[in-house]
Amino acid sequence: MWVSIWLAVIGLAIGFGIGMSIPAFLPPAYAKYLGIAILAALDSVFGGIRAALEEKFDNLVFLSGFAGNALMAALLVFIGDRLGVDIYIAAVVAFGVRLFQNLGIIRRYVVGRKNEAG
Amino acid sequence: MHPRYFSIAVVGLLLGLLVGFQVRLLELPEPPLPPHDRGRILTAELRELALERESLSAEVRQMDNKVKTARQGIEQAEFALRAEIEKHMVLAGLTGVAGPGVELILHNVPGVDRPDGFLFTVRDEDLLRVVNELRAAGAEAIAVNDQRMTASSEIRQAGPFINVNLERVSAPYRIQAIGNPDDLVKALEFPGGLAETLRDWGINVVIETRTELVLPAYLGRPRPEYAQPLREGV
Repeated sequence: MWVSIWLAVIGLAIGFGIGMSIPAFLPPAYAKYLGIAILAALDSVFGGIRAALEEKFDNLVFLSGFAGNALMAALLVFIGDRLGVDIYIAAVVAFGVRLFQNLGIIRRYVVGRKNEAG
Repeated sequence: MHPRYFSIAVVGLLLGLLVGFQVRLLELPEPPLPPHDRGRILTAELRELALERESLSAEVRQMDNKVKTARQGIEQAEFALRAEIEKHMVLAGLTGVAGPGVELILHNVPGVDRPDGFLFTVRDEDLLRVVNELRAAGAEAIAVNDQRMTASSEIRQAGPFINVNLERVSAPYRIQAIGNPDDLVKALEFPGGLAETLRDWGINVVIETRTELVLPAYLGRPRPEYAQPLREGV
């Protein structure tokens, strides 16, 4: 439960360290895809923490959600690029809304008033 | 460690990795233009440059033509000038010439040895009349004993001799003229003509047409000292 938050934070820190230090590079053309992937991952992590706090966490749901969301978002970016329409904004908005919802629920757990409304 | 939540750590690791990448990506100097627009701009530029190139090569062609025309003009002018100079050299007698024509030989009257013999010799007047007649018949170049007749040539009695171009010539006198041989002969040989008159006086006149005569150039080359060409209306 609480350990999920710490796991996420530790993973994030290690990943960030690796990402900042390894010499491999993604071409700048993929910056958009990268941004969407970050959003998808962020959404998944928050969703996972919330599920863990609610004790409904399921590995399969978590990983398939992460992969599915990321792929769908990448597809939207790709299609939007081809059509000249920024469809990926739909993914950004959806992820953003869910992010704040999850954050709100997690906040309530953190401050220990999970059963109070609003 | 709770193995159930390990996947959260994995995704968190991935998230950190991606964030790290993105941060480094955004730290890069921004490329001048996104590739999409860049392609379009480059295409437009290419089209523009192709047009410019086309117009420039058209200009080159035009200039080439101009140069060619100018060069042709120079060549033609040079050719015309050379032809003109040649023509005037021929007319002025400043160059040797060759061509068909007639050759007259005037022998002195036999019996010149008599004391009053000079009365029967060929005189400057006879030569002048012959030359005059040949000129009237269209002779283009005349020489008397290899002295070319020019615009300033004289034929002048000087005692028993005749001076032509200030050179002394003596009998037999050989007059060569380049022109239409038939016309030249006809101008001299007709009943009551100059040849007959000369023969009547006892001068031995031999006239022969030649297919190829070679006349020397006039060797003295006086410059006009006093006469100035009129510039007006040249």
